[in-house]
Amino acid sequence: MTHPITPSQTIGPFSHEAWQWACAACTPAGADGMETITIHGMLRDGDGTPVNDGMIEAWSPGAATIEHERAHQLAGFRRVPTDDEGRFTLVLSRAEEASCEPAALVTVFMRGLLVHQFSAVFLEDDDLDRAALLRQVPPERRATLVARKSGPASYAWEIRMQGAQETVFFDYGGAP
Amino acid sequence: MQFDMLAPGSHPDLVYPAYKSTVKRGPTLPPVAVHAPASLKTNLAAPSSLLLPFDADLTAQGDGDPLGEKIVVTGRVLDQDGKPVRNSLLEVWQANASGRYRHKRDQHLAPLDPNFNGWGKMLTDDDGRYRFVTIKPGAYPWGNHDKAWRPAHIHFSLFGNAYAQRLVTQMYFPGDPLFEFDPIFQSISDLAARERLVSRFSIDETVGDQMLGYEFDIVLRGRDATPFGL
Repeated sequence: MTHPITPSQTIGPFSHEAWQWACAACTPAGADGMETITIHGMLRDGDGTPVNDGMIEAWSPGAATIEHERAHQLAGFRRVPTDDEGRFTLVLSRAEEASCEPAALVTVFMRGLLVHQFSAVFLEDDDLDRAALLRQVPPERRATLVARKSGPASYAWEIRMQGAQETVFFDYGGAP
Repeated sequence: MQFDMLAPGSHPDLVYPAYKSTVKRGPTLPPVAVHAPASLKTNLAAPSSLLLPFDADLTAQGDGDPLGEKIVVTGRVLDQDGKPVRNSLLEVWQANASGRYRHKRDQHLAPLDPNFNGWGKMLTDDDGRYRFVTIKPGAYPWGNHDKAWRPAHIHFSLFGNAYAQRLVTQMYFPGDPLFEFDPIFQSISDLAARERLVSRFSIDETVGDQMLGYEFDIVLRGRDATPFGL
């Protein structure tokens, strides 16, 4: 028998202090000389208004092994709040050149979002044609998951909750 | 680990106009169903060294005893096969007995308690069980509509054993008269699903004359875990 899941509820506006320990414990990549990339993110609602009370989590399985070896406390994991302008910054270890994996699997939380949303961010100069996860996304929506190069080792990405450029959010219950 | 499609109503409606903030923040397109790649079956390994001595006793984080009704909350974290989700990270946060959060944006006029932060974290044991001691949180107003008061609740954040099991939810207390007026609780259309967020009073978990006990089991998505939980 399959047990029904426990439903989700919103994170609400008051998570910051409770969640801060993990923001602090996910050691900034690069402090130990590893190659990193930085994703400059922006979180917007359906009106395009920046969301200033969101939480973003990133999980990079490929980087987890390397970071673990370098004694990161939460290897492969990042948690960052959005700031007053809706911005967030993900500094990620760069596991390899021209990957076909996402730079990070991303989870989005905020007040007013009753179920946290799973997404992913790819880098535009990665091997996107071979990206198995991206290829499951309708072609016309793939661009919402691709961060654009904005400088050396630096990328820009927007998460849009609604609208013509609504970011792709995943349900992992798809058939293989 | 396998992830099946969810029955309709398993989760809240993403756009639920009675909860005003959902109108511009809830995605409107259906999620893109994808096969979970192997990488989603891994998860962060939170070292126990990150757990502080009083993380699982929210009444012991100050210089003295916090005000309010001391309670113990315990339960098991299970997957959809009913198997324990072991050694997995769980975070909790809540208002104090007066209904006030220790947070710069909380404008409720109720007092802060110098002896109560309202947050903690722990790992589940080999049975998938967690247990923490806290103060029963108060109801509080939140401005969504006239006389908008949240039923007393404790926020839970669970990591499970696989990235795709991540869950954030709220635990409520049995018999709360505010349930029928709370759009966050009501946003779950399936009545049975909604009731799964309500803890139950437990005389077995009640500790002598110290504190009442509440039980709250949590089922995370996923089945067919290996013996290692993945």
